[in-house]
Amino acid sequence: MLTITDLTITYPNGHQATRDVNLTIAPGEILALAGETGSGKSTIAKALLGLLPPGSTATGLARLDELDLTGRSPRDWEGIRGSRIGVVPQGAMTGLNPVRRISDQLIESVRVHTHAARRPAAARALDLLRQVRLPANTADVFPHQLSGGQRQRVAIALALAGDPQLLVADEPTTGLDLVTQNHILDLLAELRTSQQVGMLLISHDLPALRGIADRVAVMYSGTLVESGPAAEPAHHPYTRALLAAMPSLRPDVPWVSIPGAVPDRSTSGGGCAFADRCPWAAESCHLQRPLPVPVKSAVVACHHPSDDRQLAFPTAATPGRQAVDKIDAEARPVVRLGGVGHVYRSRHRRTTALAGLDLQVHAGQIVGVVGESGSGKSTLGQILLGLLRPTTGRVEVAGADLTRLRGRQLRGVRHRLGFVAQDPYGALHPAMTVADLVAEPLRIAGTPRHLHPARISRALDRAGLPTDLTGKRPDQLSGGQRQRVAIARALAGEPVLLIADEATSMLDVSTRAGIATTLRHLADGIGLAVLFITHDLGEAVQNCDQIVVLHEGVPVQQGSPGEVIARPNPGYPADLVAAARRHAGPSAVPSG
Amino acid sequence: MRAGLLAGRIGAVLLTALAVGAVAGPWLLSTDGRERLAAPYAPPSADRWLGADDLGRDLFAQLVIGARGSLGIALLVALAATTIAALVGGLAGLAPPWAAGIVMRVVDLVLALPFLPLLILAAAFLGPTLGVRAAVVAALVWAGPARLIRAGVLAAWSRGHLQAARAMGASAWYLLLRHASPVVAPLLVPVFVRAAMTAIVLDASLAFLGLGDPTSPSWGTMIHWASVRGAMLTDAWLWWALPPGLAIVLTVTALALVGVATEDRLNPTLRQAR
Amino acid sequence: MSVASSPVRSRTGLVRAVLGRAGGYLAVFAVALTITFLLPRALPGGPLRTLGGADVADLDPAVRAQVAAAYGLDQPLPVQFWRYLRDLARLDLGESFNGGRPVAEAIADALPWTLLLVGTSVLLTAAIGVALGVIAGLRRGRGKGNLLLAGVLLLDAAPAFWVGMLAILFFGVHLGALPTFGATTVGHTGLAAVGDVATHLVLPVGVLVVAGIGQFFLVTRFSVASALHAPHVEHAHARGIPHRRVVARHLLRPALLPVHTQLMIELGWLVGGALVVETVFAYPGLGRLTFDAIQGRDYPTMQATFLTLVVTVLVMNALADLTYPLLDPRTRTRGAA
Repeated sequence: MLTITDLTITYPNGHQATRDVNLTIAPGEILALAGETGSGKSTIAKALLGLLPPGSTATGLARLDELDLTGRSPRDWEGIRGSRIGVVPQGAMTGLNPVRRISDQLIESVRVHTHAARRPAAARALDLLRQVRLPANTADVFPHQLSGGQRQRVAIALALAGDPQLLVADEPTTGLDLVTQNHILDLLAELRTSQQVGMLLISHDLPALRGIADRVAVMYSGTLVESGPAAEPAHHPYTRALLAAMPSLRPDVPWVSIPGAVPDRSTSGGGCAFADRCPWAAESCHLQRPLPVPVKSAVVACHHPSDDRQLAFPTAATPGRQAVDKIDAEARPVVRLGGVGHVYRSRHRRTTALAGLDLQVHAGQIVGVVGESGSGKSTLGQILLGLLRPTTGRVEVAGADLTRLRGRQLRGVRHRLGFVAQDPYGALHPAMTVADLVAEPLRIAGTPRHLHPARISRALDRAGLPTDLTGKRPDQLSGGQRQRVAIARALAGEPVLLIADEATSMLDVSTRAGIATTLRHLADGIGLAVLFITHDLGEAVQNCDQIVVLHEGVPVQQGSPGEVIARPNPGYPADLVAAARRHAGPSAVPSG
Repeated sequence: MRAGLLAGRIGAVLLTALAVGAVAGPWLLSTDGRERLAAPYAPPSADRWLGADDLGRDLFAQLVIGARGSLGIALLVALAATTIAALVGGLAGLAPPWAAGIVMRVVDLVLALPFLPLLILAAAFLGPTLGVRAAVVAALVWAGPARLIRAGVLAAWSRGHLQAARAMGASAWYLLLRHASPVVAPLLVPVFVRAAMTAIVLDASLAFLGLGDPTSPSWGTMIHWASVRGAMLTDAWLWWALPPGLAIVLTVTALALVGVATEDRLNPTLRQAR
Repeated sequence: MSVASSPVRSRTGLVRAVLGRAGGYLAVFAVALTITFLLPRALPGGPLRTLGGADVADLDPAVRAQVAAAYGLDQPLPVQFWRYLRDLARLDLGESFNGGRPVAEAIADALPWTLLLVGTSVLLTAAIGVALGVIAGLRRGRGKGNLLLAGVLLLDAAPAFWVGMLAILFFGVHLGALPTFGATTVGHTGLAAVGDVATHLVLPVGVLVVAGIGQFFLVTRFSVASALHAPHVEHAHARGIPHRRVVARHLLRPALLPVHTQLMIELGWLVGGALVVETVFAYPGLGRLTFDAIQGRDYPTMQATFLTLVVTVLVMNALADLTYPLLDPRTRTRGAA
């Protein structure tokens, strides 16, 4: 049905977004297209819908049955967008008009694509809501009255309104909580069967896609490295690394990171784009571009494809073992929380963000706080920094009772804490150099200037960054490097506690384990206490000595990673573990 | 973006030219515009580019000297209003909610005041000196911009790098100087421009109504005298009432170009869209 | 995983919000009352400087005291303030110093003319300004859009009084086509009277439109240009909704919300802002009444006109606040999920 042949797309600035991509989708088939930021996977989706920026050029062929999709002018997409190809927006983005009722938007789409009269269109709109498993009264509300998952269901209904043969969904679940993600994926799988609609699902979450897709394709740096049946094991080293880079729920399964960064395509020569980061790379890989060759029932662009050869990627340090012995139960913990709760009061309502939390973090220990957005996990971070005074309970950090301190004394405690925020782009001032950024806590704390250079280079070293980066500005660094700068900055003041609030969630999968490893080395090496706040249960399992699961502000389970996975409490923890299994990396150690 | 930049440049060049003319122009003139040198209502000639008024005084000289009055009050008001707006808006952005609430109520009050009638009132009772006029206009126009700057401070407050510095234990002053002010400072350009525009038009209106300062000529007073002395009934309006009006149009347009150009640059949604 | 049976409209929340706002407006109103009360008393010479054109200072002290007593000015300030409020509650605004006419009557005569003038011109201004703003916003950064922007900025830069003078010169004096003075001509009845009022409106309204278009144009242009790449707009394109429909239904409706607020505020403002135009065209509205009152040192009229101007602005602001939720559902209801 959909045939993409040798598709090469060049952006107006000369950047080659994809190179010689070949893909097919049969009617009613789900093709999962995976890859990291900049792999070119979203460009494929844009090309299929004629939404490339003006001035881009596409060579090669993309056909939907008899329809040519590459040679069209921007105005010539009527009867294709929405009618032949439906599109589902990114999960976190709201593709819905904020000021019109759901019914209006559905009816509009139906009428635009089928030219139906108003009454049958209204009936069809209700039908669509049924298909996406939403109650009929959803039609009467506005988008802001729906949850994220419900909005995404409406968006899927809108995509189905023109009865398309192909659905293109770019990161359809990103930004939704885990349980909702699974519901959306299930819905898509179900629609494929009931509507016989082919789907192109694009995501960085390869394990989750493999669960519902018929075939999987993986892109790296603009080229397709592998495509094959979803059931078959992966052959390309990048695909295998990508799977192993998703943290497993079993603490004994290694969590892999891929060192290095995606190469700049303008400078890459004739070899394999992945060669620089590949443990199997031989001389030929650097010189000769691998052509796609059939391997079993897959097609792999690699000189040395294998599905059983050992991956020699660095893995995250296994938690627990060394750390547990080291902890002196008699020693005073760095963090001691007793019955901490917080209630936000606005003029009209009271929201309980946190209730009855008891928690201790010892030196050299990594404690994970797991919960979805709104679970109170970020409120906890604010309380530990003394930025928020809890409404109840005792907060002792580094021997100081935060609830009793104010002003200068409180800021003094903060000088002994390190904080790494979620967004490595916003947290670093764009105009400052790495050296300035790392020195900022020293300036704030009033550390004598002559101590700065030594402190900066030690912090950079501990965060795993080379010191020759000191003159660079944030926009000259990769996402992973930026987050390491943020870590180095948090370390500059020689803190006793590091609070990492979703520090890996905006990074590419392949770099996450590397950041976690750095944190582990800090805990083991200099006895840093780390509070690791995350929504990803797998990361917490891989990285932490203790886990606290928060749900709607209430701690619903505390324990070691093994305990939480093996014996989750009924209710939310059990749901969370079940939902996480689908997104987690390999559940067994690869044989060989 | 490029067109916005061009507009901004055109505006800036025009403003510079006007400012240079206003500062240097009077020295280059042979008359101060008060001497009776020609026949009443004399039409333009090679010597008197814009002819003469009803008393035979050189109108071109009045136009050049009037630029000082008009641009002077614009500058004075813009400086004062921007300062007040920055202080009030900045403090309201940092103050606890209850205090900010009170400040914003005061802003609401000032915004509800009728500008021109109050200005007329002040000029009528306190005398139309430059100081009084500038003070009154500044006291009225700071309120809107203060609201804008407060919004800017609140937006800056939510920026990642500011919150990061806060988590490091930075003091309020450090946050304000190092992280908030670089974000908010560019907002002051459109604020300054707006205040200057409002000042020119308000002041010219006051002068037109006959309440201007008779001792210091401005473009507004020229139009007032042209209107009162019957220039509109003869061809004299062409060289008496038209040029000062065009001068106001030119100045305000130049300011508006600079304002629009900076506003477009400041809007992140537009910038991202290229 | 289901939509709550019906979206909960938190009525109590809405009522509380409205009451909270109303409290704010009342506070501003109270302060405005105090200021208008103190204004004449604080001005140099005090409220009794001139009376019927004569300088009170020239009067015999005994007579002056008598006059002061007649106006209640011999009482302590709180008593004066109390009387001021009491009279205000009865809509008794005092009598003009010039001619002794009840001020309430003068305002009642002037206000309808101003409302007619300002109402007509704001509606026209909004219609034209928004239409041009939409065009320029959609074409932002391109030739036509920039040309339009430059044109409107130029038009907007012209001071109202100057445009008014030129308009009188061309349409009144040279062409003789339109009346340039007052609001009516004596002697018309019935339909002819309506036509007479309308022709008198043309020039002042025209000038106010020229002077006011810029605000609407800029707000609209900015808002539309910002919405061009909003996620729901781009997604509507990707879904195959035709371009015109995307613009009309998905882009403009949310983007024009700020214009509504602007419209209301402008309406309130222009009542005072029309002063210059009313003076130029000798239009018998509130602005001219205010100007004449100040010129004639007529305190009771001044007090009353200022209060009217402030109240109009407040009422329009309140209306803007109250009607906004009708247009934007996000401020009307709270999330049900």
